[in-house]
Amino acid sequence: MSTLTADPPTTSHAATPPAAAQVQPTFAGVVRGEWIKLLSLRSTWWALASTAAVITLVALAAAASLNAMADDPALAPGIEQMHGAEVISSGFHFGMLTIAVLGALLITGEYATGLIRSTFAAVPTRIPVLAAKALTLVVLTAAVTLVSVTLSYFLTMPRLSQYDLVPALDDPGTWRVFGGTLYSLISAALFSLGVGTLLRSTAASLTAALTVLLLLPGILSFIRLDWVETIVSYLPLPASSALLTTGAVETQGAYLSAQASLIVMAAYAVVPIAAAAVTLHRRDA
Amino acid sequence: MIEARELTKRYGDTTAVHSLSFTIAPGTVTGFLGPNGAGKSTTMRMIMGLDRPTSGTVTVNGKPYRQHRAPLREVGALLEASAVHPGRSARSHLRSMAATHNIKASRVSEVIEMTGLAGVATKRVGGFSLGMGQRLGIAAALLGDPRTLILDEPVNGLDPEGVQWVRQLVRALAAEGRTVFLSSHLMSEMSQTADHLLVIGRGRIIAAGPVQQVIDSVAGGAVRVRSPRAGELAAALAADGATVTSPEAGMLEVSGTTAEHVGDEVAFRNGLLLHELSPRRASLEEAYMSLTQDAVEYRAHTTTTTSRTAKAENQ
Repeated sequence: MSTLTADPPTTSHAATPPAAAQVQPTFAGVVRGEWIKLLSLRSTWWALASTAAVITLVALAAAASLNAMADDPALAPGIEQMHGAEVISSGFHFGMLTIAVLGALLITGEYATGLIRSTFAAVPTRIPVLAAKALTLVVLTAAVTLVSVTLSYFLTMPRLSQYDLVPALDDPGTWRVFGGTLYSLISAALFSLGVGTLLRSTAASLTAALTVLLLLPGILSFIRLDWVETIVSYLPLPASSALLTTGAVETQGAYLSAQASLIVMAAYAVVPIAAAAVTLHRRDA
Repeated sequence: MIEARELTKRYGDTTAVHSLSFTIAPGTVTGFLGPNGAGKSTTMRMIMGLDRPTSGTVTVNGKPYRQHRAPLREVGALLEASAVHPGRSARSHLRSMAATHNIKASRVSEVIEMTGLAGVATKRVGGFSLGMGQRLGIAAALLGDPRTLILDEPVNGLDPEGVQWVRQLVRALAAEGRTVFLSSHLMSEMSQTADHLLVIGRGRIIAAGPVQQVIDSVAGGAVRVRSPRAGELAAALAADGATVTSPEAGMLEVSGTTAEHVGDEVAFRNGLLLHELSPRRASLEEAYMSLTQDAVEYRAHTTTTTSRTAKAENQ
């Protein structure tokens, strides 16, 4: 074979780029490529901005409603049971919505536009692309969660301080709620990326991901069967809610323990992506 | 160098590509021809490792595409003009591809200049014309300075200047010893650009070889003769075994013979005057049409002729 490929006298080709030897794909390069892709789309910035906006606005609304709660004799005692961090993170499920859209679009956008062929032509082993997408998605989700929580913390401070609810930064409960928010949002983002990689179509992926992440608990809550309630407790929203409480209000029954929730949410993140990685290699692009 | 060995792709019951074996040599431009649905794009996708062959193998520069350590350096491909996200700028698209291979930013600027995209490089690709999209696709193909280029319909949507530019570009690339494999439906363009042809229909090879050889294999060419005594000449030629048609009075189209034979052996011997004697080579388009007439998958029915015949039959 080498005798064949060596044939005709190659003039300028032999003399082309001096750096040719260094021109080689590396995982760092693939990550950089994904990073450029992600940041060069307006939809990314819209998804990030709306995630920060909804989380902050819901936190503000939750803080504002403390006044109404205080005026209602039936609800007023509840305030003392509350933890300020829960108020700040109360918008996380709206954040799940926008971050899941970002996660799915990351890959379905490539299938929809045909870009996936350019991507896989450059990285024919394909799996590094999925890994790089997951990595960049985790970094962006973490960044936007950090910004959202910080913003909410300071903006709700005046109202929370009226009720002595400003979460103390040396309180482990505070960090448990904030950590739970971050963990749940990252899990939702990766779940959506995995579903998107498996289903490829934007509409199908968003429908599937958002149904599982957000809609099912609401739909199934009308069914009062034990086994249905057990299933519901394993869905992402109830499972992550268990991570987002300080334990003070852990009296609602069907919730999983915090440890179980950590595992369940990790499974939502990992299982679809692992399945996608297996099929990605075999399927025609 | 692209080598396919009994390359086959089946989708359920339909066989898109049927046991193709061919070698595309370096230093040449090889044209890939075939009607819509013949399997050209499927073949190109299999070469690029995007689609898996059902059976058979295909290698580029000696290895299956997926096994190359730096694929963009081996093969540059324009598989479809739309393999770009419309929301991204041309430069961002190229930068993201370059990043995977640690290709320098200066090379991105270089291919942008080379393809004439400098003025629009920061604009979103969604607003590009078809021709601009093609130029971007070609820029992406050139990015890794590859030894082999695979271009699916590169001149589609380009203006005449762009068409000429692509022709000169691929000729120059082949002259440097690279392998260039391109498909096109523009026969006149292909006949000016390609050295070799690979013609497929319904997933099978119909013809392969140097352009002129492929043309000659189909239509042996014809000889055009004009004579004041065309009638006698036609009779003499027919007696000699040639096929003669007369497109207009005084003019004959003779096939199955050569200009020399018509002039020396028939006209001169019979003392017939000639006013014109010209060999007419078949065009690539004619050869292509005759090669693929049985293999055309999607044919438009010319309703005017059929209705006219129907009317004639009624009368």
